[in-house]
Amino acid sequence: MTNCPECEATVPNHDKIPGEVFPCIDCGTELEVLKTDPFAVQPAPKEAEDWGE
Amino acid sequence: MKVAIVGGSGYVGGELLRLLLRHPEVEVVQVTSDSMAGKPIGRAHPNLRKVSPLLFTPHARLQPADATFIATPHGESMGRVPEILTSGGFVFDLSADFRLRDPEQFPRYYGRSHPRPDLLSTAVYGLPEFHRDAIRTASIVAVPGCIATASILALRPLVEAGFVDPEHVVVDAKSGSSASGRDSGPAGLHAERSGVMRAYAPSGHRHTAEIEQETGAHVALTCHGVEAVRGVLATVHAYVTRDVDEKELWRTYRAAYGSEPFVRIVHESDGFFREPEPKILAGTNYCDVGFAADPHAHRVVALAALDNLVKGAAGAAVQCLNLRAGFSETTGLDFLGLHPI
Repeated sequence: MTNCPECEATVPNHDKIPGEVFPCIDCGTELEVLKTDPFAVQPAPKEAEDWGE
Repeated sequence: MKVAIVGGSGYVGGELLRLLLRHPEVEVVQVTSDSMAGKPIGRAHPNLRKVSPLLFTPHARLQPADATFIATPHGESMGRVPEILTSGGFVFDLSADFRLRDPEQFPRYYGRSHPRPDLLSTAVYGLPEFHRDAIRTASIVAVPGCIATASILALRPLVEAGFVDPEHVVVDAKSGSSASGRDSGPAGLHAERSGVMRAYAPSGHRHTAEIEQETGAHVALTCHGVEAVRGVLATVHAYVTRDVDEKELWRTYRAAYGSEPFVRIVHESDGFFREPEPKILAGTNYCDVGFAADPHAHRVVALAALDNLVKGAAGAAVQCLNLRAGFSETTGLDFLGLHPI
């Protein structure tokens, strides 16, 4: 178990593997598993979006 | 539990009927409307046709019930509540008549003095998120206004956290046409309303008093009517007294609403609905609350979205009934909304 680096929500391990990408249940940030012992994640790289702003 | 609805032909009355007719612990024994007396409820609320044999009865024939919901225009329940209370039941008033604790505020916002200021101190402001224990024992529950509910739920955690200036708060609210009620007059005609982005209350909106009472902040409120039937979106601009980042905002709102059944914290980094949006809340009792830090402007932006007729009126009343009667707080309020809609 760790915390989301963006919103600090609790992030459970749940058999995840290094390199796996999954969304934070609270803020939706795509997280990438860095390692499992100890469990650590970081925001996954993503392409910038253009909403026509 | 036997309940009655006074003023059941309006939009809020229709939502009370929709929710209470399917509430497993409740029997709706009477619904009154002078203008629709003798007609079936489906005549006023076509979504309810053939689901109940109830007919509207005149207000004068109101009978005692375990709980009475009053959904009449502002100013009318002041005269009815004392008599209803003598019958021993409790009251959920969806008008503004018992929302303000300070009787001096009434002439300023409602143009008349309150005839029973002695009852104001006994009424409980029906916002469960902040008055849950008091609602459990209240004889009068004053259900908050829709814009007030959204604004308070967005703003109060920031004020309580102590990092915003409570003397300078701006609230910009948008609402759908049903917030004006069934008898909104010519301003609600399709020809006049369709396509509007109308600042109908640039200042002086009545809900200002409720928001200030419940947050302790000095609020500048501007209200707009927009192209929607249901929905309120309140955007709060609060100016910070020190640096505040988004992690601290997450902690602040989690502390306030982390265990609330009908308040969801919505501030997501991906997807189409990243911040609170009334569209997907139609018919539900949820209020979605979101936020953003704005260090450039020394500001926090807080957002709250809800359905003005549900969490902003009838749903909140049913939530309060559940608390007052000892039912599970979410009973009868489990509709999850529609998507797409």
